[in-house]
Amino acid sequence: MPNKSQQIALVLSRVSANFEDGKERVLVLKDMSFSVPAGSFVSVVGPSGAGKSTLMRVILGLMPHTSGDIVRNFSRPAMVFQNYALFPWLTALNNVAFGLRMAGMRKTEARKTAKKKLEEVGLGHLENHYPAALSGGQRQRVGLARALAISPDLLIMDEPFSNLDTITAESLKADLLKIWRSYGITILMVNHLIPDAVEFSDQIIVMVAHPGHIKSIIPIDLPRPRDTRSAQFFKEVDLLTEATRAIS
Amino acid sequence: MAGVIGAVLLLTFSGYFGEVAWLTLCDAVLRTTYRLAIAYGIALVLGALMALVVGWSPFSDILFPFFDILQNLPSFALIPFFIYFFGFTSNMIILFAVSSIIWPILFAILTAIKSAHKDLSDAATIFGAKGWRRIPYYLAPLSFPAMLTGSIVGIAIGWEAVIGAEIITNVAGFGDFIKEAGASGISQALVAGTLVILIIVFVINRLVWAPLLTESSKRYAE
Repeated sequence: MPNKSQQIALVLSRVSANFEDGKERVLVLKDMSFSVPAGSFVSVVGPSGAGKSTLMRVILGLMPHTSGDIVRNFSRPAMVFQNYALFPWLTALNNVAFGLRMAGMRKTEARKTAKKKLEEVGLGHLENHYPAALSGGQRQRVGLARALAISPDLLIMDEPFSNLDTITAESLKADLLKIWRSYGITILMVNHLIPDAVEFSDQIIVMVAHPGHIKSIIPIDLPRPRDTRSAQFFKEVDLLTEATRAIS
Repeated sequence: MAGVIGAVLLLTFSGYFGEVAWLTLCDAVLRTTYRLAIAYGIALVLGALMALVVGWSPFSDILFPFFDILQNLPSFALIPFFIYFFGFTSNMIILFAVSSIIWPILFAILTAIKSAHKDLSDAATIFGAKGWRRIPYYLAPLSFPAMLTGSIVGIAIGWEAVIGAEIITNVAGFGDFIKEAGASGISQALVAGTLVILIIVFVINRLVWAPLLTESSKRYAE
């Protein structure tokens, strides 16, 4: 990404976090250290229970960490959720406008911007539909538009494709890469599909469970746009599959 | 319902209701309905506010069991307290009804807030519904379906509370009317009164709750 490689969007150093389960404290994240360069695409992979989602909540400040430091060089984070998390009482358009309205933008202006974002993800014609009337793929597009509407400087995506069928997911992935390139935003994505992580990422963080910590951080230096059928691509996927196999 | 209406018409034309004091009955029903409406309004505002504040605060886990105990107090056991403080008045009946109606509303909303998916709550926070804004932009619309079902249950309990209190205290109203009718052996008045209440309940359900429920299930369906 142009000229942004010097800046760092996010730094974690030796970050740990606990879950309070009644009286018991369970360590869920242990000594997490990594950094995310501004404008880069970083994926987090690992088995379920490795604390990937918890990590995202800690980064966003939705959950406290117990020790370590987090440097947040971003001011407008946005998130895309695995189960969409759209507000069922709002139409697609008003879901997208939600963040803008909360930021104090006037209604007509917010709706105009939201409409543009909906069109950008190909759903301009469904603006008045409620989430219940949308398919999974459409809901996730609304979720993406809602996130992009606030012009985020960090976009966190928690397994955004895992509730979608393959065909829907593929088209959304292509759009996401396009959006990432044109916006130049920093993206941190939790993923469980290694080929996807290799296709998107500049850097892949491999996590292990009990307690969740980093096993390895693997840079992916393949040229973009990436050819998912090249020998190098398969080599990277193999390497990463090996790295995750050893832990499960 | 068509059957009920048919029966009413048949009874009316056959002169069955000849002895019924219709004006007195209408007056009684209006008084009771008015009390219920006021009590429901107060219970809705109070119950929703309490649920939102408690659901929003970090103390909800502590307060939940406390409310549960309060809710389980048999409401008619409290009537002497209400009489002691407010006398044999219409306001006493209204406040007593509030004490019954409020619980289903409060619990329905509180449960809806507590059981909402964590992601939805996170989304509200991330996209800016923080602080006091959380109430109008997240918690209130989130708990709308619960408020509806809580209201329907609450009003059903409310009829019982208002009519029961009127029977106990002899304050003019539908409860007092049927008590008098029963005591003086005018069974036609009892039947007429019951039919009138039935019709009111039916009309409110059809005109108010049914459309709201349809709208709610359309929007909030998963």
